Amino acid sequence: MIERWALVSGLRGDLETYDLIQRDLKKTRGVTSLFVLGDLVGPERNCDALLDRLKNPHRGDLKPDCIYGWWEEQLLAESGFRGERKADALRLSQGEDAVSALLNTVNPSHLKWLASLQFGFIELDCALIHGSSSDVGDNLTSETSPLILLDRLTRLNVNRLFTARSTKQFHLELTGGGINSQVKDLNGKREQQQAVPKRSVIGIGAGLNYTLYDIGSDKTHFLTAGSKTNPKGKGFA
Amino acid sequence: MNHAIISCLHANLPAAEAVLNDIDRQGIGTITCLGDLVGYGPQPNEVVELIRKRGIATCQGCWDEDIIDGLNACECSYPSQLAERRGHLAHQWTDDQLTDENKSFLASLPTSLRRDRLLFVHGSPNSQHEYLLPDMDAFAALERVETAGADILFCGHTHQPYVRELRDGSIRVRLQNADHECDQGEELTLPMRKIVNAGSVGEPRHGSTNATYVIHNDATDEVEIKEVPYDVDRTCQAIVEAGLPKVFAWRLSHGFEFAEQAEDASHVCER
Repeated sequence: MIERWALVSGLRGDLETYDLIQRDLKKTRGVTSLFVLGDLVGPERNCDALLDRLKNPHRGDLKPDCIYGWWEEQLLAESGFRGERKADALRLSQGEDAVSALLNTVNPSHLKWLASLQFGFIELDCALIHGSSSDVGDNLTSETSPLILLDRLTRLNVNRLFTARSTKQFHLELTGGGINSQVKDLNGKREQQQAVPKRSVIGIGAGLNYTLYDIGSDKTHFLTAGSKTNPKGKGFA
Repeated sequence: MNHAIISCLHANLPAAEAVLNDIDRQGIGTITCLGDLVGYGPQPNEVVELIRKRGIATCQGCWDEDIIDGLNACECSYPSQLAERRGHLAHQWTDDQLTDENKSFLASLPTSLRRDRLLFVHGSPNSQHEYLLPDMDAFAALERVETAGADILFCGHTHQPYVRELRDGSIRVRLQNADHECDQGEELTLPMRKIVNAGSVGEPRHGSTNATYVIHNDATDEVEIKEVPYDVDRTCQAIVEAGLPKVFAWRLSHGFEFAEQAEDASHVCER
């Protein structure tokens, strides 16, 4: 029997998009889990209705498991949930107006729930994180050096890292290679060889673009909510 | 030209003096220090003042950082509660002893120093608390050097001197994105890089009581690991007389690796 995960991110308060995704999932066979990898909120629109829906799913909704993303981190920092840190990254990149806009999109009654969200999930041999093991804002893409991707996988000791920060959909497999090293110390020299483990980094997309992952076959399907694309057509093993 | 790299002096004045004398005898004029001037040992002010007086370029170690910013490591950094209590005691004792002027000096130290293609840090380019152990994952080790934009990374923190050359590396990748079919794959050739750990002047953990440091020749890139005997008994006696935990003296006098090191040495406390 097919068992699939749905991976969603970058909703940024867009309840309509979330509704479209839920409708898609109802029509898709085998989806057992829905993971929302952060950026539930954003500065563009009021986010309260989406947050209400995520916290209190409608009858028939696939129940979402959420983690926090870069926008939540900025919101929580500015709201005093991150010690002395403020929304410095947002302030630096988009200015004071963006910080004010973000604060205005979320009712403070949601902050405690947002602050309770985890940094990531480890499911089977997969890590599900908004950015990476390095940072919630780590922007991994298919252009990122494979050495850095391998480092992020190694830090968590997982075979697959699902990431959302870049908003891109990609599946980059590390298929081979290796490295030699020589260590010299006061006891002498020793040689070491290490092979590249077969591991993958998967960008799950954002907003309407989401990803299905077949656990049994290790296939990913990149989808757009509301389109009629057959998941089989974009599978990648 | 030869230059010397020293690290982890840990308030051990006899060891620091012996190593600097050894470097002077060889006519080496350029010395770089990778931090941890204080902590564990009985002469924090004397060691800081020696480094200041000699004008040795120094980056900040984890102990130097913690003395300034307050303890920045939780119980995960220690193998036991007993070890944690000893660590806290040494921190408090050092904090009480250090003069304001010497604290200001420690606070002024940079977290890294760079000379052309050479990078000098205490732990790793990511953190003063990260251990780059000699047998750590080779790709992760290379990532630390490469991401920092260096050819050779000089570090300390582990108290074990070593030279690790990372070479003949490659990674093959295969990509598919939402718009394209799977590509044929490509191979990335990785650059050759080197990590040099200077060991420890004041608290060796490599199986001998001798202080260690390294000499690097920047023309040939050859690295020599140096061992220097010093008056261990003098330091041990000063540790006991200062009222520091006697196990610190016992560790020095045996030279074994009985350090307060977490089981997962690669772990970096986020607190």
